[in-house]
Amino acid sequence: MMMDDLKLTALPEKEVPISHHRFEPYVDNGGTVLAVAGSNYCIVAGDTRMSDGGYGIQTRHYTKVFKLTDKCVIATSGMQADTIALRKRLDTQLRQYERDHGKSMSTPAIAQFLSNTLYHKRFFPFYTFNLVAGVDEDGIGCVWTYDAVGSHERVRFSSQGSGNQLIQPLLDNQVGKFNQQIVDGPRELSAEQALSLVKDAITSAGERDIYTGDFADIVTIDQKGVHFEKFDLKLD
Amino acid sequence: MMCEEAMIDRDDYAKRVRKERKNRIMIEINFDKISSSIDSNHEEDITRDLKYLSTTHFELPPNSKPGEFLDQVWDHPNAPKPIEMAHGTTTLAFVFNGGVIVAVDSKSTQGSYVASRTVKKVIEITPNLLGTMAGGAADCSFWERELGRRCRLYELRNKELISVAAASKILANIVYSYKGYGLSMGTMITGWDKTGPCLYYVDNDGTRLKGQRFSVGSGSTYAYGVLDSGYKPDLTDQEAQELGRRAVYHATHRDAMSGGFINVYHVKETGWVKISSDDCFKLYQKYYNVKPINDNNNNA
Amino acid sequence: MSSEHFKYPVFGQVDYFKYNNVASQLASHTPSPSHSQELGAKKRTVDPIVTGTSVIAIKYNGGVVMGADTLLSYGSLARFNNIERMKKFGKSTIIGAGGEYSDFQNLSQVLDDLVVDDGCTDDGTTLSTTEIWNYIARVMYNRRNKGDPYWNSLVVIGHDNNKSFLGKVDLVGTCYQDNFIASGYGSHIALPLLRKAYKEDMTLDEAKTLIQDCLRVLFYRDARSSRFIQLSIANADGLVITEQIALDTDKWDSGDSAKKKKNQDGRKKKNNYRNDSTQVILEYGHNVV
Repeated sequence: MMMDDLKLTALPEKEVPISHHRFEPYVDNGGTVLAVAGSNYCIVAGDTRMSDGGYGIQTRHYTKVFKLTDKCVIATSGMQADTIALRKRLDTQLRQYERDHGKSMSTPAIAQFLSNTLYHKRFFPFYTFNLVAGVDEDGIGCVWTYDAVGSHERVRFSSQGSGNQLIQPLLDNQVGKFNQQIVDGPRELSAEQALSLVKDAITSAGERDIYTGDFADIVTIDQKGVHFEKFDLKLD
Repeated sequence: MMCEEAMIDRDDYAKRVRKERKNRIMIEINFDKISSSIDSNHEEDITRDLKYLSTTHFELPPNSKPGEFLDQVWDHPNAPKPIEMAHGTTTLAFVFNGGVIVAVDSKSTQGSYVASRTVKKVIEITPNLLGTMAGGAADCSFWERELGRRCRLYELRNKELISVAAASKILANIVYSYKGYGLSMGTMITGWDKTGPCLYYVDNDGTRLKGQRFSVGSGSTYAYGVLDSGYKPDLTDQEAQELGRRAVYHATHRDAMSGGFINVYHVKETGWVKISSDDCFKLYQKYYNVKPINDNNNNA
Repeated sequence: MSSEHFKYPVFGQVDYFKYNNVASQLASHTPSPSHSQELGAKKRTVDPIVTGTSVIAIKYNGGVVMGADTLLSYGSLARFNNIERMKKFGKSTIIGAGGEYSDFQNLSQVLDDLVVDDGCTDDGTTLSTTEIWNYIARVMYNRRNKGDPYWNSLVVIGHDNNKSFLGKVDLVGTCYQDNFIASGYGSHIALPLLRKAYKEDMTLDEAKTLIQDCLRVLFYRDARSSRFIQLSIANADGLVITEQIALDTDKWDSGDSAKKKKNQDGRKKKNNYRNDSTQVILEYGHNVV
C-alpha cells in the first residue's frame, strides 16, 4: 500500500535546488571610481549615478567618495546598501580611535584597517569595490586598491567598479607610462595634469559604460585637506 | 558565646568567601554580559551592526553553510556579477645546503582580468620566517599576518624564535578550524631555526607537509619541471637563486595566469634576504637572447 | 557565555572540528524561532503575497507630495480595493509602501513603538523624518543580512524645520534622497515623466496634478494598479493624507474612430438579430449615453 510499492521503476530522487526561490541579497548599483597619487597630492574621482541593478537609474546624485579624515577618503562602487554599512563601520571606529588617541588615524593605518574590516565579512562579503586614497604622514599621495574581501595593495593609481576595465589601461599608459617606447616629459604628472587626466578618464568611462554617468565628484587631497568639486558627465 | 559566634562567623565567613569567589568569577564573566545586556535593551536590529565592532569575529551568512553560500548566491537568476577574488599563481620554494630559496611571480587575476602585476607574493612573516601566497590573496595575506602576530607573541613569551614546524602548525590549525568555510590558500612556510633550513607546505584543507621542494599554483607543474631537473642539494647560493628564478620564469612563460615580476628570496641562517625582482619580459630577453622591438620598457 | 558571537569561530581562538557543528552553530546563529528551512521552521518572505504597487512622490516649493493607489493584489487578483498604503509616523513623517503589505504592517508596529518611545522620553525633541528614514534603512539592511527581508520599497516624505524631505529605502537597504522618487512599476513608467516635468519652485497644485497624471498613466499600463488613489502632503502646515480620489480615466475617445471603422467593414452580421438603439449603447458604451 505504500507509495513506494506502486512505483514500477526506481525513479531517481529529484534534487530540489535550494537556490531556486531564495532571496537574493546582492544588488550591483554600479559606478566607477578612480584615483591618481603624486608626490604631494592625490586626486580621486567617482561618478554619482546609482543604477537599480538592471538598466534603470535610481538616482543621479549619489556620491561615492566619502571623506574619512582630513587626509583620507574612501571611494566605493558596487552595492550601495553595503557601501553605507561599510562606511558607517569605518566612521564609528575612526571616531573611536580619534577619541582614544587624540589624533585621527593615519592613511596607511586606515588602509590596513579597511582590509581587516572587509576580511571579517569574508564569508558574507560586502559587495563593494574600494579605493582608499589620501596623503600619508609625510604628505605623500597614496592609493590603495582592494578586492571585495580585503586583499589590498598600495599603488600610484587605480580604478574600481563597473568602468574599471575601461579606465585601468588608460591609467597604466598615461600615469604609469607602461610599455612606452619614448617617454615624453617627467614620469610623474603634475597635480594639474593629473586632474585633467582624471576628468578625461571618468568622462570616457561614462561614454562607454552604461552604469557610469550623470555627474562626477572630483576630490583633491593634499596637506591642506580634502577638497570636493562637482563635474558634469553625460546624462544619457 | 563569643566562641560560638566566632564559629558561626567562621562558617559564615567561609560561605561568604565561597560566595564572593563565585561572584567574582561571575563578575569577570559579566563583562561580556554587561555589554550584551546593554545591547539587548536597544532595538536588536539597529545595534547588530555595531555590536561586534569591538571584538574580532567573522559574520556568517544567514541560513547556509558558509562554504556554499556564495555559490548559491551567484546561482540566483537575479544575481549581479559574481565577486571575483584576487588570486595568486606560481610560487615555489626548495631547501638546499645553503638555506631555502623562495621564488614567486607577481600577477594577480580576478577571473580573466589581471588585477595587478606587482603583487608581493612572498609574505614576510617575521625576520626569520617567510610565507608564500597562492590561491585567495586576501585569505593568504590575512592569515599569514595573523600568523606573524602569533609568532611575535611566542617570541616575547618564550625569549626565543618560534620554530618553522610550530609556526606552520599554527597556520595549519587555523585553516583546519575553518574547513568547509571556503577558504582558498596554498602556502609554503619557510625559515631557518635550530634544526636548520626548513620548509613546510600548508593548504586550505589543513594539509601540512614537510619537504625539500614544493611548488604551488596554476603554474606549479611547469615550475616543477625545471626545478626537479636542475635541483641538487649542493648547489651554490647563486646557482640555487638562479634555479628558482628560472623555474618560475618558465612557468610564467607557459601559464597565462602567472607573470609580472619574479621575486627571489633566500633564507639564510641569519634570516631572509630579498635577492632580486625581475620583470618577466627582461628575463625573456636574457634567457632567449632576444633583442625586443620595444626596447625601452618602462613597467614599474 | 551568553554573548552570541562566541558561538562563531572567533579569530584568535583555536577551534577544532567546527565544521561538524555547523548545523547547530547555524541554528544558534539564526534568531528563534529559527528561519532555517532545513530545520523546518517558519517560512520567511521569499515571495511577496499580498502586494501594493508603485508609490511616487515629488518635492514642490514648500513641501512634498506623495501618491499611491489603494489596491492590494493577491498575485493577479485585485484582492482589496480600499487599503491605505501611506501611513503617518510622528508629527512630520509619512511613509508610502509598495510590496508585501504584511511586512509593512509589521514594520509600522516597529516604527510606532519607536515614535511612542521617543514621545515618552519627553526631551523636547521629536524624531525628524531624516532620523526615521535612516532608522528604516538600518532595519531593512539588517533584515536582508539575516536573509529575512521586509519585502517592501518605502518612500519616506516629511517636512521639519522648514525643510522638505524625500527619501526611499528598498528591501536590501539601498537608501537615497532625491527631488522625485518612484518605486515599483513607477520607476519604469512614472520616473521618466517626473524627470521631464520636474522643475524647482513647483506649486502645490502643480505637484498634485503631476502626481495624479503619473498615477493615471500607471493605471493605464500597470495591471496591478487601480484608479482609486490617495495623495499625501507634507509641508509647514503639517501632514495630510487625502480621502480616496477616483482618477478621471474616461479619456478613451481616441479609440472611438477605430471602433466605428471596425463596425463598418464586415462585422454587421453580428448585428443581424438586433438592430436597435440598445446595440448602439452596447457598442459605444458610455459615450453615447
